[in-house]
Amino acid sequence: MILPEIGDEGQYKLLKSKVLLVGVGGLGAAILPYLAAAGVGEIGIVDDDVIEISNLHRQVIYKSSAVGKSKAEEAKLMISELNPQIKVNSIPEKLSGKNAISLFDKYDIIVDATDNIFIKYLINDACLVTNKPMVYGSIFRFQGQVSVFNYQNGPTYRCLYPDQNNNALNCEDAGVIGISVGIIGMLQANEVLKMILGIGEILSGKILVYNILNNEQQKYDFDKSDVLLMTKETFEEKYNRIENEVEEIDFETVFDEINNDEVLFLDVRNEDEVPEISLKNKIQIPLLHLENEIEKLDKNQTIYVFCQSGIRSKIAAELLQKHEFKNIKSIAGGALVMKQLLATEIKL
Amino acid sequence: MIEVKYFGAVAEKTQCEFEKVAFAEVSLQDLLRDLNEKYQFESLSFSVAVNQKIVSKAADYQLQTSDIVALLPPFAGG
Repeated sequence: MILPEIGDEGQYKLLKSKVLLVGVGGLGAAILPYLAAAGVGEIGIVDDDVIEISNLHRQVIYKSSAVGKSKAEEAKLMISELNPQIKVNSIPEKLSGKNAISLFDKYDIIVDATDNIFIKYLINDACLVTNKPMVYGSIFRFQGQVSVFNYQNGPTYRCLYPDQNNNALNCEDAGVIGISVGIIGMLQANEVLKMILGIGEILSGKILVYNILNNEQQKYDFDKSDVLLMTKETFEEKYNRIENEVEEIDFETVFDEINNDEVLFLDVRNEDEVPEISLKNKIQIPLLHLENEIEKLDKNQTIYVFCQSGIRSKIAAELLQKHEFKNIKSIAGGALVMKQLLATEIKL
Repeated sequence: MIEVKYFGAVAEKTQCEFEKVAFAEVSLQDLLRDLNEKYQFESLSFSVAVNQKIVSKAADYQLQTSDIVALLPPFAGG
């Protein structure tokens, strides 16, 4: 309140603002306390995850005694204690084509604190439909990116990264250090507060790339490109169609079939992705090449598709179903889950 | 000399954060093709910036000496 750029008027603007935080993991844990402490009047928290021990090194708002509990609920508890005067909504759901638009409609600013690229495109698209700015942040080891998309009709995530299907690293777990998410998260919180207060320069049409190892930062400008207008109908068509039609299955359920010669496991990751999954009846066709190499597959065979964590495999499954494959299922959780189960079974 | 900067997963592939390439003048497409041959970027997706401005990879862009090119893949961690 004392800062001349803020004052009473600024405090009021904060009180009136509604911010939706998608993801309350590493990035979210850094963003949330600062928004709450600044007095953002209403904060929504979307995250269907529960707290695990491995999260605690970088998701600093969680207590070790809260392992196993819902992140959204715990985060709400924490900031309600920090600032009892603000309204906090905990939404312990996965963001999807089904809830994104109705959720975004209720808030002014959407913060992307997620850890996968598919969801970032979904958030971008839902922000276009609902006309909200998207505060983007992401990490790769010791580097991070920050930008604000769709701000006052500015460029979007797709203007910066138009190539959705080409992306190989949707699900790779490259490793994240607490400090990286801390710094980038705070830069995101900074953008949110600047937008609300109308001060400073917003990273719209600019991407900030920060390197914590050498403290170098770069800003790159980018223009709005002529992208397809996203309407509610095209959004529904795009996201709800995928989610409705593709059947997902747990690896545990198909585990008994790994030696069944009638069944095929299709790995759609790139050749250099790890962990390697050794299965008797397996073929590897990266998603990028799938449409071109589709004749290698039998349309009548039962095919279980997998990728790193279960997202690309759904896209692959949808593609196969479009090509009249009869019996396709996508393995939930992907190689990361499969590896664990295969390792345990071998030990037995 | 044209400087090329690498970020994220691209820097992992090249095993360095920047390098200087000995061209006084070259088209962006040729440079990217050379780099792709050298490092096998094939499956990696990235945007390209010249002197702090993102340009379309397909653009007919002529690079001059002391231009700085950056290869920016999307990051996903959080």
